[in-house]
Amino acid sequence: MIVCIAVVGHQSFTEADDALKLHHIVHCSLDVIDERVNNPKKTGSTLNETYLGLLYPTENYKVYGYLTNTKVKFILVTTHLDVRDADVRNFFRRFHSAYVDAVSNPFHVPGKKITSQTFAERVSTIVKSFGLSSAV
Amino acid sequence: MEEYPEELRTPPVSLVSLVGCPELHSTISTYLHSEQPPINTLALPDFSKISVLSRSKKETLDSGQPGGILKRDWLLKHRTRSPAVVAALFGSDDVSGDPAQWLQVCTELENLKAVVRGRNIKLTVVVVQSFDKDEVSEDRMIALRKRAEIDSKYLLTFVQKSSSDLKHSLNRLGSIVAELANTYYRDEGRRVKTCIEKKSFSSVDLNIRYCFKVAVYAEFRRDWGEALRFYEDAYRALREIIGTSTRLPAIQRLVEIKSVAEQLHFKASTILLHGGKIIEAIAWFRQHHAAYKKLIGAPEVIFLHWEWMSRQFLVFAELLETSSAVIPSNTSLPLVTKDNKPLTESEFNPAYYYQLAAHYLREKKCCLELALSASEAVAEIESSADSVIPSVYVGQFARLLEQGDALVMQNLTDAEYVLYALAEGKRFQDSFEIIALLKKSFESYSNLKAQRMASYCSCQMAREYFSVGKFDNAKELFDGVASLYRKEGWTTLLWDVLGYLRECSKRLGSVKDFIEYSLEMAALPISSGDEVQSPIHKGEYGPAGCASLPQRERIYSEVFGIMKGESGLTSNEGNVTLNVTPERPIRLEIDLVSPLRVAFLASVAFHDQVAKPGASIFFTLSLISQLPQPVEIDQLEVKFNQSECNFTIASAQKAPISATSIGKTGARVVTAPVLTVVTNKWLRLTYDVTSELSGKLECKSVIARLGPLFTICCQAESPASMNDLPLWKFEDHVETFPTRDPALAFSGQKFIQVDEPDPQVDLVLGASGPALVGERFMLPVTIVSKGHEIHSGELKINLVDARRGAALGSPREMEPISTDSLHVELLGVSRPDGDDEPQTGQDNIWKIQHSFGLLSVPFVNLGGSWSCKLEIKWHRPKPVMLYVSLGYLPTSNGSTIQKVHAHKSLQIEGKTAIMIGHRFMLPFRRNPLLLSKIKVAPNSNQSTTLALNETSILIVSAKNCTEVPLRLVSMSIEMDENDIGKSCTVRQRDESQKDHALLVPGEEFRKVFSVIPKIHSPNLAMGTVCFTWKRDSGLDKQSDSNITEAGIITRHKLPDVNVEMAPLVVSLECPPHTILGIPFTCYVKIQNQTEFLQEVKYLIADSQSFLLSGSHNDMVSVLPKSEHILGYKLVPLASGSQQLPRITVTAVRYSAELSLPQATSTVFVFPSEPHFKMGNLKEKVTEIVTTGA
Repeated sequence: MIVCIAVVGHQSFTEADDALKLHHIVHCSLDVIDERVNNPKKTGSTLNETYLGLLYPTENYKVYGYLTNTKVKFILVTTHLDVRDADVRNFFRRFHSAYVDAVSNPFHVPGKKITSQTFAERVSTIVKSFGLSSAV
Repeated sequence: MEEYPEELRTPPVSLVSLVGCPELHSTISTYLHSEQPPINTLALPDFSKISVLSRSKKETLDSGQPGGILKRDWLLKHRTRSPAVVAALFGSDDVSGDPAQWLQVCTELENLKAVVRGRNIKLTVVVVQSFDKDEVSEDRMIALRKRAEIDSKYLLTFVQKSSSDLKHSLNRLGSIVAELANTYYRDEGRRVKTCIEKKSFSSVDLNIRYCFKVAVYAEFRRDWGEALRFYEDAYRALREIIGTSTRLPAIQRLVEIKSVAEQLHFKASTILLHGGKIIEAIAWFRQHHAAYKKLIGAPEVIFLHWEWMSRQFLVFAELLETSSAVIPSNTSLPLVTKDNKPLTESEFNPAYYYQLAAHYLREKKCCLELALSASEAVAEIESSADSVIPSVYVGQFARLLEQGDALVMQNLTDAEYVLYALAEGKRFQDSFEIIALLKKSFESYSNLKAQRMASYCSCQMAREYFSVGKFDNAKELFDGVASLYRKEGWTTLLWDVLGYLRECSKRLGSVKDFIEYSLEMAALPISSGDEVQSPIHKGEYGPAGCASLPQRERIYSEVFGIMKGESGLTSNEGNVTLNVTPERPIRLEIDLVSPLRVAFLASVAFHDQVAKPGASIFFTLSLISQLPQPVEIDQLEVKFNQSECNFTIASAQKAPISATSIGKTGARVVTAPVLTVVTNKWLRLTYDVTSELSGKLECKSVIARLGPLFTICCQAESPASMNDLPLWKFEDHVETFPTRDPALAFSGQKFIQVDEPDPQVDLVLGASGPALVGERFMLPVTIVSKGHEIHSGELKINLVDARRGAALGSPREMEPISTDSLHVELLGVSRPDGDDEPQTGQDNIWKIQHSFGLLSVPFVNLGGSWSCKLEIKWHRPKPVMLYVSLGYLPTSNGSTIQKVHAHKSLQIEGKTAIMIGHRFMLPFRRNPLLLSKIKVAPNSNQSTTLALNETSILIVSAKNCTEVPLRLVSMSIEMDENDIGKSCTVRQRDESQKDHALLVPGEEFRKVFSVIPKIHSPNLAMGTVCFTWKRDSGLDKQSDSNITEAGIITRHKLPDVNVEMAPLVVSLECPPHTILGIPFTCYVKIQNQTEFLQEVKYLIADSQSFLLSGSHNDMVSVLPKSEHILGYKLVPLASGSQQLPRITVTAVRYSAELSLPQATSTVFVFPSEPHFKMGNLKEKVTEIVTTGA
């Protein structure tokens, strides 16, 4: 089950679940993202790759990361310990397009929290379908 | 890792037993120990002690159902008690001695053999050679070897005659012993391995034990591959017996299995890491972790599981940290393990494992506390720990009972074991262990610059300190974490940390901190969230609970209760009571970076940018708060940098708190109808202040008084430069402007410039047109007092280049600063009374520089005036800005009053007054042949050439370029260095020319000079024209200034001329005018000035206007130094100004043509004899006629 999705922009974020622990996990995972982004050679990922892969395993969760061109970070925390990379990639792609649609809303002020109801619904649909596709 | 016994932590070391010759034991031991790999020695001084080597009774019994998997002391036994090799040392004396001695040797050897054979221990015999004796005989040696039943190479003689011998002997002994030990361990390994292969073991437990033994024997031989393989086999076999084995009660069974697994895992990980196989090691650890994570065991001893888990992480972290293995940098990433699971960078970092070790230890602590609270029989726990000791098997415990003299191990029941475990658990201070682990993790993350991870660790550390009641430490750590969360805007995390901080300060009795943290929490942007905590998250949240709006409101009302002194707050645990007393009023400072800006923010905007002194200055004071409920303020104090402007705003709703606090200094007090700050709504108040002082008036702070004991001092902020509220800016809430006027909200400043009072003095610069270059330009400056008296006035004068805006003669002009190079210069200031000298007095300043002047102005009465004249001289034409400023004090007393300044500026053009030109002309109707003129091309830049001893004419002209009339004083030519008479004669041609001529603007003045060069010179200096003039001041010729003022001299240097001798001079003699039809004679004189005969051709052209007699064309010879005259008779045929027939003379010697200039060879022909009426003129005409005739 995906327990948390976080969008960490330059300074803002939205979350699906607000348990304190997940906040901590998401916050710490930013360090890993920073390291990956700052040392692209070491991690071997190409510059154009937005998907950052598994960031780090915690005792109960796995944390995956994604970085958009505008340096907005998506972080996925899941309890699935056996996740296929392709699924996560696919998830992030869909989530990214949902995010792009949400911030393209003319009533959205860049930098503020995303309050769109539609976005929340779309995200929960994507989250649900993630569980299904990995089950197949 | 430290709690593991040494024999487990380090690779096994071979053990060799030395028997006999005790004096050599220490030498040999030391040597063997320093071998690579080292060999331990078990030294037995004499052969009677060999029984220790024999198999003990217990060991021989080891056949039936095993009591456990691994024996606790098996590794230790092989390190200290069970040697691989026995080296029997015999003195050579004994060996080669008498039969009795020999027999003794044989007996000892036999006994030893008997002991050794039982355990397959290898034997080597060493004959120690005495220093002075000969070698042992060959026969004896053979006999000895046979007795010992050993190969000949294992019998060696130990020679110690010299150090090299000793070394050699030790080397040999060492290599033999190592070889034998290796054989022993290989044989032992093989023996056990056959058991495994044949499956000749009664239980799986034994299988595990055998695998373990084979692995250890392999380690003895440094065969890491085999060791690893068998450790893995053992580990796998162990995995299988979980849940199936029933040999022990369930709890203890699991404990034993985990202990064994731990050991096997440790061994395998160590080998992997020391072999540099870091990826494999991590994968192995992962698998180990995954396999045992779920095996939590019985609920009452879950804490044992977490403790075990924590230890796994800790040990692996320590192994990772100490191992030399590095993360392979060249392998392609993402790193994957063999089973294709990705690895992350953090898994290579020991900090990750330390952190998890701490996490599990925390888990253990929680479970232990739970278990302890569940079991009521505390006394029973205390007693049960007595006499329980670890039993002979790894991971087992037994009760030691005294039965008579003997001690008997009695197995424990699970219930007993649980009590024992609880008692053991209670003994440890887990919190400090957790903090230590987190600290390691924190340091490691900090070194990696993983700031957020590090702060998470420090947050955990702080929570641990908090739980053990070390609030000081906790608060310090939490403060650091909170600043990061504040900076990055993680509200939920910040809420939690602040909750802890609030609690810490409560426990520490720090009211101010408590209020600050509470206010910050109450103002955090949290609007949603359930108040009810879901039971799952219980314990995860700090003392503040889950972030929610009702919580914020609760905190708010609590803290305002304390602040108003209504209620004290007693902390539950400590005896600290938080309340505000009149002795200790609370004052909070909120500056531009304070986190409390969200709670209170004061913005001040002046409506204007500048103001007049004494006038009302309006400004808007705006307050905003994000606190969840409206804040009622009793009074506001507004503080300015000019303390006279400070004033107080009191709420009309509340009576003044205390008269003393307000009216003490007589400051202004105004009342406002409402002083309540509503959440996220600006409270705007507009007031005016009056400032008498010029300069900057800045609002420093706004102090809000809430209740008698509590004040908040907010640093005032300008709306134009105000930062957003750090956390609220991401929120989707209504944002309003601090001022009603939106423009002011963007541009408003908290300071205003108060002007100086207007000067009531006129400063007049009396300019009179442009200045002329060279003159001392007088500029009158007049100061007229119109409403102020002038005290200690100071006049500053500045001359600035109008185009460049820089001071004149500044280094930017790239000219050395000297008086000459200055284009415009301030020469001085003349006082009206004519006293140019500075008066000697301390108050008087008198400073004149090239472009700057400073002088003091004496006291000027009301209505009085003072003036002076500035003397400025232009060296070059240039426009100049003149700035004059007067600073003065309007009253004589009081130095506090600021100076008033009056400024005036004026642009003055500097113009060239006179343009001087000159022209050389040939003498009238006379043309000398100048050779240099013929040779050189006419357009070349040749200086003027004049003929020697011939009179030339110089015309000097001076033009008035100004717009004012000028009066000529004199014009002359001065020779520079040469005496005039010697080189050439320059004479004023027309003496009657009157001086002091008036030159109106644009008029040109000419003067004619005749020049006779006397010296033959290619460049003869002609001197300088000196033109002296002055401004014409109209009719007022007698005025003082005109008399005193000398003329201004404008100089014009004449160019050098070339003087040469003319060989021929042609001149024409002809009357100036004739009458039509009347013939006249015209002579052409050709003068030869040379020493040679000159042949001269001449040609006369016909003219329509004249009838001509005489030869047209001929060649004549002119004798040296003589003159030839050609005469012509001419009859004019036309009247008016007529051109004479053109005569061209050619000097053959020089092939040079000479002709007279056209302008001079004209004659005026009257149509008839003129009749003039005026007498004197008629006379003159007749004179002319006569000449003509």
